[in-house]
Amino acid sequence: MTRRDFLWNCGGGLGGVALAQMLSGATHHPPKAKRVVQLFMSGAASQCDTFDYKPLLIQKNGEKFDPGGKVELFQSTPGVVMKSPWGWKRYGQCGKWMSDLVPHLGGCSDDIAFVHSMMSKSNVHGPATFMQNSGFVLPGFPAMGSWVSYGLGSLNQNLPAFIVLPDKRGFAPNGPGNWSAGFLPAAHQGTLIRASDPNPIFDLFPPKDARFINSRSEAEAWSLLRDMNRDHLQSREGDSRLEARIASYEMAARLQLSAPEVLNIDGESEATKKLYGLDQPVTEDFGRNCLVARRLLERGVRFVQVWSGADNGFPRRNWDSHENIARDHLQMGTGMDKPAAALIKDLKSRGMLNDTIVFWTTEFGRMPCSQGSKGRDHNPFAFTVWLAGGGIKGGVSCGSSDEWSYKAAEHPVYCYDVHATVLHLLGLDHTRLTYRYNGIDRRLTDVHGNVIRDLLA
Amino acid sequence: MSGLSLATSADLLKGGAHGPVIVAGKPDDSPLYRMISGDKPKMPANANPLTASDTASVAAWIRDGAKWPDGLQLGAEVWWSLRPLRKPQPPQGASPIDAFIQAERSKRELRPSPPADRASLIRRLTFDLHGLPPAWEEIRAFVSDPAPDAYQLLVDRLLASPRYGERWARHWLDVVHYGESHGYDKDKPRRNAWHYRDYVIRSFNQDKPYTRFVEEQLAGDYLWPDSAEALIATGFIAAGPWDFVGHAELRENTIDKNITRNLDRDDMVMTAMSSFTSITAHCARCHNHKFDPIPQEDYYKLQAVFAGVDRADRPFDRDPKVFAERRALLARRRDVMSQLRPLREKAAAVSSTELTALDAMLRDIKDDFNETRKRELQPIIAKMNAERKALADSLVDPVVQGEINRLNAELRPIDAAIAKLPKPEMVYSAATFFDPQGTFTYAILPRPIHVLQRGSVENPGKAVSVGALSLVSTLNSVFGIDDQQPEGARRAALARWITSPDNMLTWRSIVNRVWQSHFGTGLVDSANDFGRMGALPSHPELLDWLAVDFRDSGGSLKRLHKQIVMSAVYRQSSANNAANAAIDGDNRYLWRMNRTRLDAESVRDATLVVSGRIDLTMGGPAVEQFYFKDDHSPVYDYTRFDVDSAAARRRSIYRFLVRSAPDPFMDRLDCPDSSLITGKRNTTITAIQALALLNNPFMVRQAEHLSARLRERATNIHGQVQWLYRYALGRDPKPAEVARLAAYANANGIENAARAMLNSNEFLFVD
Repeated sequence: MTRRDFLWNCGGGLGGVALAQMLSGATHHPPKAKRVVQLFMSGAASQCDTFDYKPLLIQKNGEKFDPGGKVELFQSTPGVVMKSPWGWKRYGQCGKWMSDLVPHLGGCSDDIAFVHSMMSKSNVHGPATFMQNSGFVLPGFPAMGSWVSYGLGSLNQNLPAFIVLPDKRGFAPNGPGNWSAGFLPAAHQGTLIRASDPNPIFDLFPPKDARFINSRSEAEAWSLLRDMNRDHLQSREGDSRLEARIASYEMAARLQLSAPEVLNIDGESEATKKLYGLDQPVTEDFGRNCLVARRLLERGVRFVQVWSGADNGFPRRNWDSHENIARDHLQMGTGMDKPAAALIKDLKSRGMLNDTIVFWTTEFGRMPCSQGSKGRDHNPFAFTVWLAGGGIKGGVSCGSSDEWSYKAAEHPVYCYDVHATVLHLLGLDHTRLTYRYNGIDRRLTDVHGNVIRDLLA
Repeated sequence: MSGLSLATSADLLKGGAHGPVIVAGKPDDSPLYRMISGDKPKMPANANPLTASDTASVAAWIRDGAKWPDGLQLGAEVWWSLRPLRKPQPPQGASPIDAFIQAERSKRELRPSPPADRASLIRRLTFDLHGLPPAWEEIRAFVSDPAPDAYQLLVDRLLASPRYGERWARHWLDVVHYGESHGYDKDKPRRNAWHYRDYVIRSFNQDKPYTRFVEEQLAGDYLWPDSAEALIATGFIAAGPWDFVGHAELRENTIDKNITRNLDRDDMVMTAMSSFTSITAHCARCHNHKFDPIPQEDYYKLQAVFAGVDRADRPFDRDPKVFAERRALLARRRDVMSQLRPLREKAAAVSSTELTALDAMLRDIKDDFNETRKRELQPIIAKMNAERKALADSLVDPVVQGEINRLNAELRPIDAAIAKLPKPEMVYSAATFFDPQGTFTYAILPRPIHVLQRGSVENPGKAVSVGALSLVSTLNSVFGIDDQQPEGARRAALARWITSPDNMLTWRSIVNRVWQSHFGTGLVDSANDFGRMGALPSHPELLDWLAVDFRDSGGSLKRLHKQIVMSAVYRQSSANNAANAAIDGDNRYLWRMNRTRLDAESVRDATLVVSGRIDLTMGGPAVEQFYFKDDHSPVYDYTRFDVDSAAARRRSIYRFLVRSAPDPFMDRLDCPDSSLITGKRNTTITAIQALALLNNPFMVRQAEHLSARLRERATNIHGQVQWLYRYALGRDPKPAEVARLAAYANANGIENAARAMLNSNEFLFVD
């Protein structure tokens, strides 16, 4: 057991007494960023309708899709080449081509570094979503946020280090398995916050129908429990777990105070709410989550994961637009674009973008040819993710797909390299952030991963 | 350099995948030397380069002809876990266990702790063997029992109770990562998985010999074909996660389908090897094992064991006569269906320009399909489908069609006979024949297995035969089984390899697991890894003595439990001792008993016992402690569950275990992810956990039930507080404790006092 493991098992978790201080020197090298917000597009967001501009698709629209070699699709036989239903414009000083689906993000293009040569090891939502989260196509491995929590702890003793804000419409494929701590101690599990639910955190307060509990009984219960536990400890000195449990109730009381404050957005200005699109139904839910994410980051949460999209069911409620890209990506893209851009702008105006990484990702991409006549099938061979903020060079595009946006061409990478890069910016060496489980020193990056130097400022 | 080994002279001469690595006499022409020398040496990867003098030595050795000393084998020292078993002579002492433990303590000047008092002992033993607290009456009786063998009688009574099987089955289900939904996307429930859970409970309660327990789980259906129980046991093979989309929605011969199958067999290999032998064979999927002597080929030999099975629902009958009839009919049905499948595929593959045009039209119409146009389009689609069928049928080769018709005719009487049998029960288990589900269907013959270069299905290498790990040097690791033999022979051969008295891993593994569950830490503190990355045994001789004794006395787990819990080391007090702690703070040498926090199931079950609400009904379908809504991805919502419903009152082992959505309450108490092989649980202490214990509706409601029970016992607060201590902690309170809690209860009600008690350290820890 390493020192890190020991600390986490005995009184780690939320805040963990003087633990944050003990671990604050635990980075491997000086960090460029302190925290991360990950925006996860569930269902597979199309690269060739958003960020990966290919004139060839416009030119050959409606012709046979013939990139050479056998084309093997997930659900369908390949249709004809299909240009994006959206037009394309150049944005910013970097002159980045982006589609009319994401004009607000276009306005942030000089802050964003795109990776166009992403690949996935699975063409199936479940395993591929696991892979983008944990680096493995199998269930049971710790999510990236769990690794960051394990590596760095929380900056705020009163809030968990890793918080997850799901889409209001439901969970993505794999459900809460996506933010599992796997074999890491339970403290590193993503804490679920349903920002627009009347009861946003499980068991934060007693159930409303428990009438025997009131504010006085609560206040006295905390001190009663502390006294009982201290008496019990007296004849059992030397057991740090018993002390940690006493401390855990003190932390729980602090969480009860801090959580409602952070989730209450009433104090935000009208301009801010508008920036995130809270005034329009299409952007309201993702916008609220992005705004709450900013508030959490502001208060020292290390890793916030915000989901755009639920499961792959019908009518479509995520990015899995097999049937009709124009209809279904319009809904998802419009809902995501403005709030995501707002998050970058808002962090920037508060001076937080310098040390906060915004990481936009999805499980794989979509095919440049049509499925049926209007949809797009899965594409694990090329997709786009992007990063902005702490330590990231803005206005650049790393790697590229081929002329079709069909396969990664220049500098093909898997999530390992992006994960390694994010950890690197947080001051962690991805080969040294390990946990021994069933005989293997496990890593977020398995046995892979290279920091993508071109992304670094 | 892949495939390169430098263990022996022969390995060196053979070289790696790219040929020889040494050219004797010429260091500069030797790839091995080039790899380790130069400005930026490629090897060792991810480690410091060799020093100049080291590389110079290698160069000199190659220049001198690269001579290998006769018979030298590098890394030949046999790792502790792979040494053949022998039974060491225990030192002099009361019992062999105590004698071995005392010998190690003496070496370190550690003094044993005094025996625990009887009240602590009965609480410890009952939680350990049953996962439940003892009743107040039982405590009183035991504490005042004058009989000298009172403790032994208590042990016997607890081991004879069915509660024992429920408790110890849970330990085993952690090891085999048993869950009741598939996991991944579209996480569908497995409504028939529970038979396996009940099988494990029954097996423990019957004290089934361990050999039989292992063999049934791997190959019960083949070894004891008449026994429904043995078939149910193969739920072991099916226990882990399963990728529904990958299996049922991907087409045959696609890369992702092959990946899905490869990972599915990987799960079976990993589960079997880590559960029974504590070896991480799965680390050799992409390359030779980096730390243990497991060549990649050995790993794929194990995949070949499972190459003919899938996970699916399988029928069985409790009536042996019906079961026999059904098996005979299903065997015939499988035979006919296996002939039919290639013919039907041939028939389905017909094409013509007309058919292609029709398919395109159908696709366009389906694209336009939506709820409002349903009435208009549905009849058109139906008509076109009928036309398509007629057209496709007319294109099928008449010889093929004739064969199909003949086989269909053969199938009819079989199906009719099956339909006449009483309705069978179903168990989710290993299966070699089942109705297709989408593109998911059974293997007619075991699927061919190849060594996969870097674990990639796109790079199949040499075909492998069925076998196991050559690192167990006392056993033959090649089984000599081919496609002519029944599929089950493969699994039976692996089962017999595992249960052989000469498989040293098996016997060490199980006694270590049992020891760990009693003490909180194993003699080897890496229950699932006895390889070089695992821990060393703290008491190697004791481990071997227990392993041989267990093996040679019939593999009785109850006998082993009794040996352990009767020992003085188990009966010690858990109190601290500063002098001992200064020498051995981790208590590795067991100078006291370990204090343990209740695991998630024990917390929940103990709460139900204390509140008086527990329902001890055994077995049957799992109780769903969530709101369930079937959908594309089913919804499992724990917030919409009535914590007062009957389902809430059952023991936790009967909870329905959803992989994608574990119960957040249990999760916070370190109940492991059921997709994970868990050799040992974490025990964490967090604020989120404290909130769950305080505020989860289940806990809050139980506090109310407990209060009602207290009111039945006593009308005044003092009496109620006294009973609260007796029920929750198994002891009478001290006067000051009564005063404190009564004052609180007077001000805030006994419910709040009960709630605080259920959050106390004394309730949640066992001394």
